[in-house]
Amino acid sequence: MSTSIDNPHFLLRRVHSLLGLIPVGAFLIFHLWENSQSRLGAEHYNEQVVAALKGMNYLPLLEIFVIALPLLFHAGYGLVISAQMRSELLRYRYPRNHLYWMQRISGIGILFFLLLHVGMTRIQGFWDPAVAEDLYTHMQALLSQPWLLGVYVVGLLLSVFHFANGLSSMAIAWGVTTSVRAQRLFGGFCVLFGLLLAALGLHGLMGFLR
Amino acid sequence: MSQPSVIVVGGGLGGLWATVRIADAGFTVTLLSLFEVKRSHSVCAQGGVNAVLDTKGQHDSVRQHIIDTIKGGEYLANQPPVKSMCEDAPGLIRTFERMGVTFSRTPEGLLDQRLFGGVKNKRTCFAGASTGQQLLYGVDQQVRRLESEGRVIKHEWWEFLSLLRDEAGVCRGIVAMDLRSLEVRAFMADAVVMATGGMGQLYAPKTTTSTNSTGAAASRCYQQGAWLANAEFFQFHPTAMIGHDKTRLMSEAARGEGGRIWVPRTPGDRRPPRTIPEVERFYFLEEFFPTYGNTVARDEAARAIWTVTQEMGLGLGGGDRVYLDLTHLDQAFISTRLGAILEIYRKFAGVDPVTEPMEIFPAAHYGMGGLWVDFERAADGGIANGSVRNHATNIPGLYACGECDYAYHGANRLGANSLLSASYSGRVAGESVVSYLKGFAGTRPGVREDLIADEVARQQGLNRAIQEGQGSECPYRIHQDLGALMTAKVGVVRANPQLESALSELRQLAERLDRVDFGAANPWAHQGLVFARQLRDMITLAKVVAQGALARDECRGAHYKPAFALPIPAGTFPGDPAFEAYRARWQENNHQWLKTTIAEHHDDGPRIHYQEVDLSLFPPTDPRDYR
Amino acid sequence: MTEQSIHLRVRRQDRPDSPSYWQEFKLPGHPDHNVVSLLMALREHPVTTTGERVDPVVWDHNCMEEVCGSCAMLINGVPRPSCSALVASLTQPIRLEPLPKFPVVRDLLVDRTRIDEGLKQVKAWVRIDGLWDIHEGAPRIGPNEWAANYLYSRCMSCGCCMAACPQFGPHSDFLGPAPLAQVRLMNAHPTGRYDARERLHAIMGDGGLSDCGQAQNCVRVCPKEIPLTTAIGELGRQTTVQMFKDLFGPS
Ligand SMILES: Cc1cc2nc3c(=O)[nH]c(=O)nc-3n(C[C@H](O)[C@H](O)[C@H](O)COP(=O)(O)OP(=O)(O)OC[C@H]3O[C@@H](n4cnc5c(N)ncnc54)[C@H](O)[C@@H]3O)c2cc1C
Ligand code: HEM
Ligand code: SF4
Repeated sequence: MSTSIDNPHFLLRRVHSLLGLIPVGAFLIFHLWENSQSRLGAEHYNEQVVAALKGMNYLPLLEIFVIALPLLFHAGYGLVISAQMRSELLRYRYPRNHLYWMQRISGIGILFFLLLHVGMTRIQGFWDPAVAEDLYTHMQALLSQPWLLGVYVVGLLLSVFHFANGLSSMAIAWGVTTSVRAQRLFGGFCVLFGLLLAALGLHGLMGFLR
Repeated sequence: MSQPSVIVVGGGLGGLWATVRIADAGFTVTLLSLFEVKRSHSVCAQGGVNAVLDTKGQHDSVRQHIIDTIKGGEYLANQPPVKSMCEDAPGLIRTFERMGVTFSRTPEGLLDQRLFGGVKNKRTCFAGASTGQQLLYGVDQQVRRLESEGRVIKHEWWEFLSLLRDEAGVCRGIVAMDLRSLEVRAFMADAVVMATGGMGQLYAPKTTTSTNSTGAAASRCYQQGAWLANAEFFQFHPTAMIGHDKTRLMSEAARGEGGRIWVPRTPGDRRPPRTIPEVERFYFLEEFFPTYGNTVARDEAARAIWTVTQEMGLGLGGGDRVYLDLTHLDQAFISTRLGAILEIYRKFAGVDPVTEPMEIFPAAHYGMGGLWVDFERAADGGIANGSVRNHATNIPGLYACGECDYAYHGANRLGANSLLSASYSGRVAGESVVSYLKGFAGTRPGVREDLIADEVARQQGLNRAIQEGQGSECPYRIHQDLGALMTAKVGVVRANPQLESALSELRQLAERLDRVDFGAANPWAHQGLVFARQLRDMITLAKVVAQGALARDECRGAHYKPAFALPIPAGTFPGDPAFEAYRARWQENNHQWLKTTIAEHHDDGPRIHYQEVDLSLFPPTDPRDYR
Repeated sequence: MTEQSIHLRVRRQDRPDSPSYWQEFKLPGHPDHNVVSLLMALREHPVTTTGERVDPVVWDHNCMEEVCGSCAMLINGVPRPSCSALVASLTQPIRLEPLPKFPVVRDLLVDRTRIDEGLKQVKAWVRIDGLWDIHEGAPRIGPNEWAANYLYSRCMSCGCCMAACPQFGPHSDFLGPAPLAQVRLMNAHPTGRYDARERLHAIMGDGGLSDCGQAQNCVRVCPKEIPLTTAIGELGRQTTVQMFKDLFGPS
């Protein structure tokens, strides 16, 4: 009897969880690392970073199977999971309870942000060659509008929070951290990790503002 | 005829053991309980459960366990069941262990044992500070397994109301009530096991028992013809912390570790205890019992507290409490030695006993008496395995086990022996029922439908009478009065004039109960109605306790009537003429009173007769001598 | 001890399907009252602050020592056993509500059958042959392992952890923390271990372990301080291993 295979509930959850880390989380790190290079100027960014990526073989396949589909699955199933939440934030004012709530709210927030973000960059690039040609300038134009900059900062922070907090709850879900002490220690590590990633991302955003 | 079936009423340790044992034999069991069985009173037991494992290098023996039990009960227990129980105790513990009960362990990973009141050897297994809870959960899990296999059918939130007896008087089922809808219906069965626990609530709120330990179910069987035995024997725990709701046990370890018991010398002194100077404190245990002081035996301590508060009027603030004081001890010492039990006091009294003396009073703890049950003596002096007579009441087809029977503790219970007796008696009752069912040859005529319908209608009528009642009485207040009456007049210390007045006051309480009025109360889950019904049966039971106490003119175990005390003449020892004269009086007293009290129900009150005790193993030869 | 006036607000409900409503009471009481003893005092004289005589409040209680689990309810918004809720430590008016997430029977009395069903679903028992002596004890258990197990065996099915769980409730089939912790306990027993796979499979299905969202309210409200989240972490590990066994191991 292999119920865990017959009944997909468990496997689906684990796949959702795993996809959050690989490839989606990994891509987030990579993506923020790449964009942090905006600091090095338009030329460097457009030629070393964007063009190098574009030069990759099978890029569309990679984009679809390694980024888009996993993200869509994670997002879609994440919405299903979020529907089970009946949070009572005021009644139970424990930090973990608030993080639990934030994990779900940030996921939904990210979804909207990504629609906007991907729409304004990758999708717009399909018919507007200028976007694809000089992404740096395009981003610069976008981010110089204060409200859009705000949206980006929020989107970035939500993603980073979601990823870092996701890591710490993932460690419990998979049974890596079991004791209270281990959960607290690893939680601390995730905070550091999140701060670092947030710094990297903000640094990247600033890079477009010069 | 379809497979015979069994009803077990009560899901404490006794009931659950019986259930599993019967279901294991292949019969379907219907299990009724007032609430989820895992909430039964058995969870309250903290101390432990006795079984001779002899793993502590003390040469403990089953024989010694038997003797301790018999002497602890001042010879009033029939000896064959005691013998078999003590012999089977280690096996029971091993079975519990197999179920997964988390018994505390030694560093070697073996069962740990500790010392418990009244004996010399470490003989008590325990599971942290919640032994009863752990034992109950062990069997509860087995019952849940059997339930999921369809071999047990649970009816939780159902109350047993009465027995269904056929024309021959054989018990063939019960009538019970759904505690939510108040639906009353019959449950048919070929045998019924009562395992409905104790009756400490007769003394409420001065009892350590759960609020559902009313004894009402046993009383109902009694009113339908079952005998009650030894009901006058009630153990009082000397150090219980008073609450408005109930009194909670404060372990004797508090006295053992150096706690001192005192009251202010001035009656009604209301100064905070710590401001009362030493000379104005009355350390009465130390004065009454110079040798033992505060560690004097349970009974003695309870009686001394009773004397000081009830007769000398020295209770705190004129009331009935005394101080149990630990504040003179080293704080670190008491915290390590008594941490868990002090935590209970802190939690429920909201006061830290390390800095403030605790307030305590003797509380009704365990009723040794209960439904009379039979046994069949085997050649080896124990009980005959699988006999249909073991744990059978005097009503054919009706069995009883657990605290609601009377079988193992005689005139007083040894600490940590009742978790054992509840489990053991459940198992034995289960085995007897299995034999009883297997003994049916062919089919039996069904029970006449009109008998069933009449009984159901009678019970519905009782409900209606309460719903339509008029007057100004509240059952909860009558219960308070019952508890106060029993505590004052049928309590730790007894005297015939008080017992007589108690009996007449009980009759008045019963009359007041006729005038209970709930107004146009919502009948759904009507707890007041349920309680009023129970209360009537409690009062009937209380009469048996009081009548038995009135009839027994002696001191034995927990039953203490100073007017009939037989103290050892001071300074005399075996061989002295004065001592031998005393011994003769003692033997004469045994001749007259070493008998089981049996109460039979009659409309004008209980009728009492006595039955010889089976003393075949260790006949009493010497009076108890604590010197 | 002096008497003082205690102000009580109780959420009442006449039947499982009827709407709830609030009633207020003021009664004299001692500061050493707990919520159960307060309700006991109230039932002797159930008159509201507006002078209306009403049915006594219906609720559940038994041991009064916080071991039977009967008397859990929401007290000032927090799920906890009422026998150990000392009135002196509560802000007034004291708000009493039925334990949420479970169907109300009447007033503060709820139906916690779901805990029992969860325990059945996860097979929270050690399978033994029968209640007779097999003349052999269970294998040894070291004191440290015992201490860890004992924490879980004290669960009294009060339901506080379930009431506080944002994933548990009528809207979901999540088992909730209490039955999960029992899987942890049973899987650690030397013979209970034999059925570990069945139990793990039971919690890998719908409503199982992975419905836990790590809000960790359970461990904060558990009156017995049972390390529920540690149990959940340990079960996470066991199910991870079980998953790989199911996927790649011999069947
Ligand atoms: C505070 C305290 C501490 C104790 N400590 C110890 C100890 O350390 N060691 C020891 O050996 N003993 C101890 N005891 C005694 C021991 O706990 C009990 O004697 C024993 O648990 C009784 O078990 P039982 O199965 O007979 O009844 P219970 O556990 O009381 O169960 C009674 C059952 O009957 C059911 N019931 C009752 N009436 C009805 C009805 N009318 N209809 C349907 N169902 C009904 C109830 O629902 C319940 O399920 C202690 C007792 C107290 C009060
Ligand atoms: C930047 C993109 C994203 C990344 C890097 C990411 C990463 C992660 C990670 C690592 C986890 C932890 C998995 C676990 O707890 O087992 C997680 C959980 C979760 N994610 Fe995402 N995620 C992203 C986008 C989204 C989106 C768009 C949604 C949709 C609403 C979403 C919804 C969720 C939910 C609900 C959980 C909680 C699962 C649980 O605890 O059971 N995520 N995510
Ligand atoms: S785990 Fe704690 S809160 Fe949950 S049911 Fe058990 S005792 Fe109650």
